[in-house]
Amino acid sequence: MQDLSTLKVQSKDPWKDPKANGWEVIDGRQELSDRTLEADVVIIGSGAGGGVSAEILSQKGFKVILVEAARLKSSDEFNLNEAEAYHDLYQEGGMRATKDGTMSIMQGRAVGGTTVVNWTSSFRTPPQTLDFWRDEFGVQGMDENTMAPWFAQIEQRLKVMKWVAHNRNNQIMLEACQSLGWQSDAIPRNVSGCWNLGYCGMGCPTNAKQSMLVTTIPAALDAGATLLHSAQADTLIIEGEKITGVRIKTLDDNKIATGATLTLKAPTVIVSGGSIQSPALLLRSNVPDPHERVGKRTFTHPTSFAFGIFDKEIAPYYGAPQSIYCDEFSHRDGIAGQAGYKMEMMALHPGMVGAFVAGFGQQAWDEILQLPNMGGSIAMIRDGFHEQSQGGAVELRDNGEPVLDYPINDYVLEGTRRAHLSMVEMFFASGAKKVRPSHSQADYYNNWQEAQLKLAALDYVPVATGIGCAHVMGGLAMGADDSRCVVNSDGSYKYLDGLYVMDGSVFPTSVGANPQLSIYGVSARNASLLADRLKG
Amino acid sequence: MALDMHRRDFLKTGLFGCALLATGSSLALLSGCSSNDGPAEGYLHLRQKDVDLLLPLTGVVLAQALKKSAASADTALKAYDKVLDGAMPGTRATLFQLFDLMQLGAARWFITGTWAHFNEQDSKTLTHTLQGWFTLDRTLSRMAWKGLVQPLMFAWFAQPQAGLTTGYPGPPQRVIS
Ligand SMILES: Cc1cc2nc3c(=O)[nH]c(=O)nc-3n(C[C@H](O)[C@H](O)[C@H](O)COP(=O)(O)OP(=O)(O)OC[C@H]3O[C@@H](n4cnc5c(N)ncnc54)[C@H](O)[C@@H]3O)c2cc1C
Ligand code: SF4
Repeated sequence: MQDLSTLKVQSKDPWKDPKANGWEVIDGRQELSDRTLEADVVIIGSGAGGGVSAEILSQKGFKVILVEAARLKSSDEFNLNEAEAYHDLYQEGGMRATKDGTMSIMQGRAVGGTTVVNWTSSFRTPPQTLDFWRDEFGVQGMDENTMAPWFAQIEQRLKVMKWVAHNRNNQIMLEACQSLGWQSDAIPRNVSGCWNLGYCGMGCPTNAKQSMLVTTIPAALDAGATLLHSAQADTLIIEGEKITGVRIKTLDDNKIATGATLTLKAPTVIVSGGSIQSPALLLRSNVPDPHERVGKRTFTHPTSFAFGIFDKEIAPYYGAPQSIYCDEFSHRDGIAGQAGYKMEMMALHPGMVGAFVAGFGQQAWDEILQLPNMGGSIAMIRDGFHEQSQGGAVELRDNGEPVLDYPINDYVLEGTRRAHLSMVEMFFASGAKKVRPSHSQADYYNNWQEAQLKLAALDYVPVATGIGCAHVMGGLAMGADDSRCVVNSDGSYKYLDGLYVMDGSVFPTSVGANPQLSIYGVSARNASLLADRLKG
Repeated sequence: MALDMHRRDFLKTGLFGCALLATGSSLALLSGCSSNDGPAEGYLHLRQKDVDLLLPLTGVVLAQALKKSAASADTALKAYDKVLDGAMPGTRATLFQLFDLMQLGAARWFITGTWAHFNEQDSKTLTHTLQGWFTLDRTLSRMAWKGLVQPLMFAWFAQPQAGLTTGYPGPPQRVIS
């Protein structure tokens, strides 16, 4: 039996004593009265886009203030407690869902953003996606060749390499793809000295994961940037056609405003709050938006799941969560045809399994007890390419909180039906005894023949079909087409001087692959262009 | 509205459901169930009437798991309360509207398929209620299920001690230097 519970994990937390590192860190919780700070560049959000931009701009000599809503939490506090990790490191403590409650949304909320809890899969943007952005939205300067050096730079910076030590859960996919003749390959991961523990989703305890928390943010602070955490950007300050700063509300441990407002003055403001949050900030600030496109075209990778029970131990809670992928069905029907989906595996810890099991009581308990012998897979649908796939819209509640209105449509449901079939077939091909797709009407199937019959009889309707997502993109689309895009290809906002967007919200469609490397690459390019422009 | 409504009518049901959610909470207000009397003793957010409503359900949803851990439904409901603590106030408010609604017999029938208050049902009847509710395809029923039962299961098993009852050996030990 695999048992890591006696393993002792020790690592050095670079955040143990920020002062001793010479870092300027302001804790919003301690800010009880109003004050004003000045900088060359204010960056809102410290995730994939914000972290990369902060490093580049501060190393080019600009005075950067990096603002993060979450409280600073680092490896010494990553205690591998599932309940605590979700409560502290995820948007809405993991409770976020689309407006009608049909799709759960996982996004990070941390110094380092979602990169602190992501699963380290690092794919370059598929060339088909880059071509589509150019052809359909007029995105400029981002084809496969021009982006290659940016991706290479980040791959080197974040130590991205193909993983080799696959856990048993990932071996399921590897073996099944080999026997079915489906494409598959090892996933490149941004890790250095990874212990292969499997807790990437709860904050890496060894700092092996090259998240923004341990790479670009420390480098930015070394270069003189200031980190302001526990501080939420409330509204942008707009004077005429120019942005001049940001109003910040500091937050206490319970995410409640302390009452202090910090005014950050800067001629350049970069919004990097991630999809949903970034458009929400622009909506709260009433930015000029002649075509009412802010928050529109918000995409996910609608993700369905399958679970296989084996008569041997899988231990899906241990080992790198994702290290094999299958692109057999990603572009079967061309870029804009029927829904294509990328398949990968998922880590399963007890809380997560509790949320995923069908039903309740005895039935759920029986299923949960199978955890050591359970495998879990995901299929992520490419969103935003098909004409039926126009994405959701970010709306504001009366109190300024964002909600994503994203009705699940037939395009997604039809794709999910095929994705379920593929995942179930994959599990049986690798010797699973029983397999269940994420559908509330489905029970475990005992063989592939039975599964095909029963899957065909399921009703694919939004509420019964189990769909979630961990990748949110778009909402502030970039491109030359003003009727659909609000940001230029260099990240500048079309209708205000000094405002830039550098995060996943600039993508005019979903990526069609796990998005972090796409966000790093595009942000690195645009932050470098911005630095050149500011230098004059 | 007939109980055996065809599944493909889900959209209509959804719209009806939303209307019910809107009018229902004002109904709940009128009937006095929506008085905002603050969190119940020992809870961060759930109000006493929510606790009265949800405690019997919790006992049935997690029956075997609680027995295994020799824990009470109250401990589990507090774990759920803690999960709700992470959500945004607006998200919690929507959920509380749903709970307010479920105080009313007619709404309980619409959402879960049963008129009787949960604390008037024995565990066998409650199991029956949950089974019916789980298979209801109404948007509101699924929203209530997803907002309650799913996070409740997560809340329970995400706790370190409860997690160990599943056969999961537990995480490595952290040594802080
Ligand atoms: C569980 C999980 C696993 C994942 N695994 C992978 C993977 O293996 N590979 C991959 O490529 N992708 C993965 N992703 C997705 C990927 O990490 C994200 O898409 C990416 O980090 C998004 O980058 P971003 O810059 O857009 O925003 P984020 O990284 O989400 O950062 C945004 C930050 O801004 C802060 N913020 C927002 N608004 C404000 C405000 N108004 N004021 C102050 N701060 C604000 C937020 O709190 C947050 O910390 C995963 C995601 C999840 C949830
Ligand atoms: S598997 Fe993930 S959490 Fe574990 S050491 Fe490697 S990167 Fe860190």
